[in-house]
Amino acid sequence: MNNPHHMNPRSLKSRFTTRFLRALTKIRAQKPISSSSPTEIFRRYRKIKVAADKSMAYSVRSRKTWSRAMLWKLRSRSHRRRPVKTKFRQSVMKNTKTTTTTGEDGVGFGVEASELRELVPGGEAMDLCNLLDETAHYIKCLTTQVQVMKKIADFYSL
Amino acid sequence: MLQCSDMTVLERQRARLKWQEEHFQQHQQESYFSELSGVFSSQTGHVQGFHQGGLMSCGGAAGGDSVLSDVMMTRQLKPDPGLETAWPELGKKVDMGAMGFGPCGYGNGQSFDMNQAISRTSSCPPAMAAVEAVEVKGNLEKMGLAVGRESFKKRKVEKLQNSKVVAEDDSKRIKASEEEEEESKITGPNTKKSSNNNKETSGDTSKENSKVSDVQKPDYIHVRARRGQATDSHSLAERVRREKISERMKYLQDLVPGCNKITGKAGMLDEIINYVQSLQRQVEFLSMKLATVNTRLDFDIDNLYGKDVFPSCTSNFSTVGNMPPELANHPPYVQFNPIQQVVSGCGVEMGINSSDMALRRTISASVLIPDASLLNTSCFTGMQQIQPSAAWDVELQNLYNVAFTGSIEGSDLKMEM
Repeated sequence: MNNPHHMNPRSLKSRFTTRFLRALTKIRAQKPISSSSPTEIFRRYRKIKVAADKSMAYSVRSRKTWSRAMLWKLRSRSHRRRPVKTKFRQSVMKNTKTTTTTGEDGVGFGVEASELRELVPGGEAMDLCNLLDETAHYIKCLTTQVQVMKKIADFYSL
Repeated sequence: MLQCSDMTVLERQRARLKWQEEHFQQHQQESYFSELSGVFSSQTGHVQGFHQGGLMSCGGAAGGDSVLSDVMMTRQLKPDPGLETAWPELGKKVDMGAMGFGPCGYGNGQSFDMNQAISRTSSCPPAMAAVEAVEVKGNLEKMGLAVGRESFKKRKVEKLQNSKVVAEDDSKRIKASEEEEEESKITGPNTKKSSNNNKETSGDTSKENSKVSDVQKPDYIHVRARRGQATDSHSLAERVRREKISERMKYLQDLVPGCNKITGKAGMLDEIINYVQSLQRQVEFLSMKLATVNTRLDFDIDNLYGKDVFPSCTSNFSTVGNMPPELANHPPYVQFNPIQQVVSGCGVEMGINSSDMALRRTISASVLIPDASLLNTSCFTGMQQIQPSAAWDVELQNLYNVAFTGSIEGSDLKMEM
């Protein structure tokens, strides 16, 4: 099978794919023959989801705020296994309160912007301008992730 | 911009003084000096004197473009020392530009320019800039300086730099004069001259009004306010911000499918939020799917590590035979039925070849699935795998290719079948 298109080894897609596949094989290697119990599946699902997020965040490195925030969350979660998220959120929210109140320039984005902030990792600490930037990049990365995962799932589901 | 004009004025004056020293007699200098001081104390009368002094100075030089250019050339050298001494951040260009045109303007004797200047000076304390600007404007008109118009460019003023060339000087000169003209326009009533000047110059300039702020901001990015809009520093910064936001919203509109019809930021944001949520949910769903699928991939791991696969293949093939009836219910998978049947028909006897073929067919089949069908949850409960790949390399390579090239790979593979 000749691949007519040369993959750019440095593109986001390729970086994510390699990492994710590696993580997937690791996950599969961990539990060679697992029962189809829901708990097992759920655990595996969590692992895979974390692996997907992690590989995506690692592919982006620290270039974007959302990837940094995501990596931070993942690391703290894995290290401490405590609801550090709340602390992080609290500290971030403190900063956010100041930024959002001063950042509002009467454009009237309030409700939607706060929703978006919740969706985009690390969005609480950003002003609207940067938030939109990060959202755009985040959407791009999410679509790549979904694409690759779809194809992998298709491949393995037949 | 006020700062800029201030410096321009002062620089111009200084340069002019120096020029005067070289070319004119003492009394003119004295008058200039007096005008200088006078201008800052009381504007109108001294401005006139200044104006006349300019007239005289220009009168000394011959009229016409050649002389004007000459004058300009000589002028350009002058402000440098003056500039160094004063606010160094101000561009020499601005200075030189203003300088160059100042005397020339005087040569033409625009008296009603003067009047305008006077009115502006009263409103705008560092009045000289306005005066000069108006005079310069007048000059531009009268002398029909094509140079100014041609070289005029739209500029977003950042920090003014020091090292320039003559050509740039011209454009900057015009710019500076435009700037001041605009600035004075804001503060004072719009005169015919200013509007004419606006029309004369490119359309861009009509939009650009120099920012009149009480606070001098040398470090900020200077943005020109639009005509007729508030020029308060806060509102200008807000306008910049709003423009940035709208720019990003447009970019997001391109990213998010189906957002073209929606106008309005709130609706757009809602769409974006929905899209992000749906993408996140898709990722979750796919990871769940992979988790389920994973249970079936166990022997694949063995395969990957090069173990014997035939027994597992058999079991798979037997299950595959049961699949088509399930799959038949799902229209998107109809195309798989022949494939499945072929695979099941292959049997174990064919060994690796069949597994490879099955693999190929799976790949091609998989890429034919429309994306929407993926989210059909009923499918994946019934899904089994056919992964009888003997070679780990082949499978992973295929997987990689599939993950990447998707449909294109599929179309190629379809040919093989």
